[in-house]
Amino acid sequence: MSDFMQAGQITEAKQALDRLRANMRVTIRGKDDVIEQVLVCLVAGGHLLIEDLPGVGKTTLAYSLARSMDCAFSRIQFTSDLLPSDVTGVAIYDETVKEFVFKKGPVFANVVLADEINRATPKTQSALLEVMDRARVTIDGEAHAVGTPFMVFATQNPVDYEGTFPLPESQMDRFLMRLQMGYPQAVDELEILRTQRGGYDAIALNPVVTHSEVLKLQSLAQQVFVEESVLEFVLKIVAATRTEAEFRAGVSVRGGLALRTAAQARALVLGRDFVLPDDVTELVAPIFAHRLALARQTSDALEERRAVAAALRRIVASIPGPM
Amino acid sequence: MSAKIQRDAAASVGATGQTKRPQLSLDELHQLKWLLGGVLTLLAVWTVFYMDVGGWTLMAITTVAAGACLAEPALPTRVPALAHTLAFPVIVLIFCGDLWLTAELLPAMVRLDIMLLLYRGISYRQRRDDLQVIVLGLFLIVVAGVLTVSLLFAAQILIYTACALAFLLTITLVEAADGGQRAPFQKGGAAPVWAAHANWPQLFRRLREVADWRVVALGGGLFAGVVVVSGLLFLAIPRFQLENSLFLERFISKKVKTGFNDTIKLGDVTDIQRDDGLALSVDLSDRTQVPAAPYWRMLVLDQYENGTFKLSAQLRQKLGRERTDSVVHGEARPRRGVATYWTFYLESGVSRYLPLLGEFELLKFREPQNFRLGADLSVVALRDEPVTMTAYRVEGITAAAALPDPNFAKLWQENDRAGPQRVILQTRLGVSGPDRVKLGRIASEIIGGPVAGAAAAGRLSAPEFAEQVSAWLRKNHAYSLSPSVPGGDGDPLVRWLDSHEPGHCELFAGAIVLLARTAGFPARVVTGFRGGSWNGYSNNFTIRNSDAHAWTEIFDAASGAWLRADALAATAAAQAAEAKGEAALASRLDRSWTARLESLRVFWYRRIVNFDQRSQAETLKAVKDATQHTGRRLREALASASQSLRAWLAGPWDAGRMLRVLTLVLAAGGVVWAAKNFRLWIYDLGWWRGPRREDPVRREAGRWLVRCRVPAERERGEASGVVRDLQRLRFGAAGSWPEPAKVFRRARQAWREARRRGRVSSSGLAEAVGRDGFSGRNIS
Repeated sequence: MSDFMQAGQITEAKQALDRLRANMRVTIRGKDDVIEQVLVCLVAGGHLLIEDLPGVGKTTLAYSLARSMDCAFSRIQFTSDLLPSDVTGVAIYDETVKEFVFKKGPVFANVVLADEINRATPKTQSALLEVMDRARVTIDGEAHAVGTPFMVFATQNPVDYEGTFPLPESQMDRFLMRLQMGYPQAVDELEILRTQRGGYDAIALNPVVTHSEVLKLQSLAQQVFVEESVLEFVLKIVAATRTEAEFRAGVSVRGGLALRTAAQARALVLGRDFVLPDDVTELVAPIFAHRLALARQTSDALEERRAVAAALRRIVASIPGPM
Repeated sequence: MSAKIQRDAAASVGATGQTKRPQLSLDELHQLKWLLGGVLTLLAVWTVFYMDVGGWTLMAITTVAAGACLAEPALPTRVPALAHTLAFPVIVLIFCGDLWLTAELLPAMVRLDIMLLLYRGISYRQRRDDLQVIVLGLFLIVVAGVLTVSLLFAAQILIYTACALAFLLTITLVEAADGGQRAPFQKGGAAPVWAAHANWPQLFRRLREVADWRVVALGGGLFAGVVVVSGLLFLAIPRFQLENSLFLERFISKKVKTGFNDTIKLGDVTDIQRDDGLALSVDLSDRTQVPAAPYWRMLVLDQYENGTFKLSAQLRQKLGRERTDSVVHGEARPRRGVATYWTFYLESGVSRYLPLLGEFELLKFREPQNFRLGADLSVVALRDEPVTMTAYRVEGITAAAALPDPNFAKLWQENDRAGPQRVILQTRLGVSGPDRVKLGRIASEIIGGPVAGAAAAGRLSAPEFAEQVSAWLRKNHAYSLSPSVPGGDGDPLVRWLDSHEPGHCELFAGAIVLLARTAGFPARVVTGFRGGSWNGYSNNFTIRNSDAHAWTEIFDAASGAWLRADALAATAAAQAAEAKGEAALASRLDRSWTARLESLRVFWYRRIVNFDQRSQAETLKAVKDATQHTGRRLREALASASQSLRAWLAGPWDAGRMLRVLTLVLAAGGVVWAAKNFRLWIYDLGWWRGPRREDPVRREAGRWLVRCRVPAERERGEASGVVRDLQRLRFGAAGSWPEPAKVFRRARQAWREARRRGRVSSSGLAEAVGRDGFSGRNIS
């Protein structure tokens, strides 16, 4: 980050992101904040977990993002009988060439929609682990790179639903963000009722951003300037989660890095080449909430979510931002 | 819940276009409330330090428990639920038992109050309980203040009032922030969120952040104003005796630590000497009148029996009948030219006999008292031992070693003429036959001749006898606070006299009495204090219990007066040579820390004690004079300044003078310009701002950002651009900066513009510029 960005680059980036945003708003109504967070996740090059009740538009969101980019998209519907090889691919013996040939699984794409990820068994879920971390799949000692950019877009139902397996903590840590969709506003829902026909497969969106533009956005985000006091601010928040009595353990170093990277991405999404303290505070909840667990027992998962969110809010409110 | 407040704040921003100041969250308000409540509890409970009600253990327990809960607000969850259920029944039971056992209402109530405070201190409080804490604390403070009438009372009620005001404000804020919703009251169970996350240093930081210093200064100023006005009123209104005007002290019967009584056994005075507490403070108007060795007489004891001196019934009659008056006329005749006032502040628990130096003209109390006056004895006895400090002013004291007693002289002469001796108590020995023989032997050894009728025969005058006896006693007995009286039959005093054991003042005084009576001189024991130290801070005599003393008075028929005889003092000749007045004070000067503390007490006494309106009028007049004087000086200074300015303007304006003026104006302008433009440099020199070295541009930009965040919806153009540039200066990479000076100038302009249009209050606030701006919470 020795060099700062050219004004032109920023403008280009902003234009590309504006196009993406506008395109997604066609199908996702009244959820501008969610769209913005999704874009932040995309620009930061992270994976996204959307958690909410069935039928509030999780899949539509992922689908419309993927369709708006000129990228390979695949979708995996996770079920309890899904096998790891169904995700990563499998080597099969080809009679004609007389050797094993690797048949790529659905993860070999740029945007992978892992639908209802917590309905699969932990074994299958962990098959996603390596590919999420390293963007490659190793089968029979041979590594196969998945596409770049690579983004896993997982959706899940609230944890207590029947027939679900909670994601292991190690896997939770690999998601950059966890978002909730929530119900749309009444005006927007009325509009949806009026216009929506058919399922998301019927969504016809033209790609507005090229593959290379996405890569450029991601590399540009890493050059966004973070001032020393803002870094210290991030550190203070991370440290506060570690001393907070209510959490079982604080946020990991990876968590702190994620917050910084996401803040950079948010600055770029909003057309800035430097990070404001607000970028940090706005992202604390979506980035840290799923990485933290309560020290005490709670009656259900929703209760725990609420307690964690409240504790994070308190932490953020108690740490004065750099002035 | 904190999020709710922030949402409310955001909503109000949307409505008015302005942000509120950063505010404390509800949790923080709760923490503040807890803190202030704890402080009030401790302040109130500590009044037990100067109340003699036997609440020390309770005070200690409450201090520890409430203090611990104050520091660690999660602790009350450890209190078992059973304790909450049983608390009030148990407290009421203890109170009833206490009342039944001690039969003293006020101390029991004080202890009840402390117990309630203890309970409130270790459990979470609702609003009702908070108000209870204030009332309970106020009760303790007022009771303590009324009982002690001490300077601490003023200080403590001042601090308490300030804390209570802040506490009430916090309660109101909590109520407002709650939106009228009451949190479920928790007894036992989990700690409320605010308690589980209390972090005092952080709370103080937040308080510093959110404090509107102008409001704080205004509030502090108003409070100071109220205090000053109260102080002036205190000076101006006629004094009333605070401690006696209220009924409270009648509920507490103070336990006497020490005290002079009308029956004194050998060793009693020595017991008093072991205590180092303050007994008496004396102010005097003329320092040259200070005697070399003051003897503060309190009580005369004439009847002796087996080691005990008593005030005989005969002498008791001399005390006269009881009167109720605020003025006592003594025996001394008014002398011209000597108007020395002696003001005595007698601490409670010393005695009901007032210390005096000798004969006096006039003694004034502050209000009518029940007393008896023994004019011949120069003894004034109050009916009851006072429970509070007693002040009295005495005029025309004769501090001489001889106390004239014409009535006794007449009696003695009649007695002489009567031939067969009538029994006069002050000559009765009160010892058995063998002891009489012993005493006769010793006495004749002392005076070197037959004893019988020595006094009557006029072979020996009383002063000579006293001198010889004192010398003999000093030769044969050493002084010691822990004497040993040899065992055996007969009178203990005679046994001691017959030995060579060391003795204390009572033994010496009693011995002189017995020997004098053997020789035919009437004699009696006097108790009181001797000496004392001179407090160099408040300029008054300080007499402690350790100055307690007993001595003898022998009747001298020649002069018709009682002469002081003290074997433990220097000889009469040496006494006469001792320094008087200022020199005597110098030798008694005390500038220790104790003296410093006690001087505060005397200052306070002087303030509240008033015998007439004179000193009050003098003080008020002094205040008035000082104010007028200052005003006059100010007017004079202004007038002379305007006069010289006029003279200067009227002077001839030549080129040199014009040039000087111009230079001066330019220099002043330059300084102003430099101050504006080089402020960065000045800030950069601010090493005192802490060890962290920050880029001055970033710091200045941060300061302007706080001041200049203008609502983006209103100010699309210049202002939001300025905010963006300021953000870049503050958080952007240094290479991408626009020119700082220009940005700051534009910021200043925009700020002034906005303020002129009344969009931004002068404190400088605003809301985010679009979505990428700052929220007030983050920035400040």
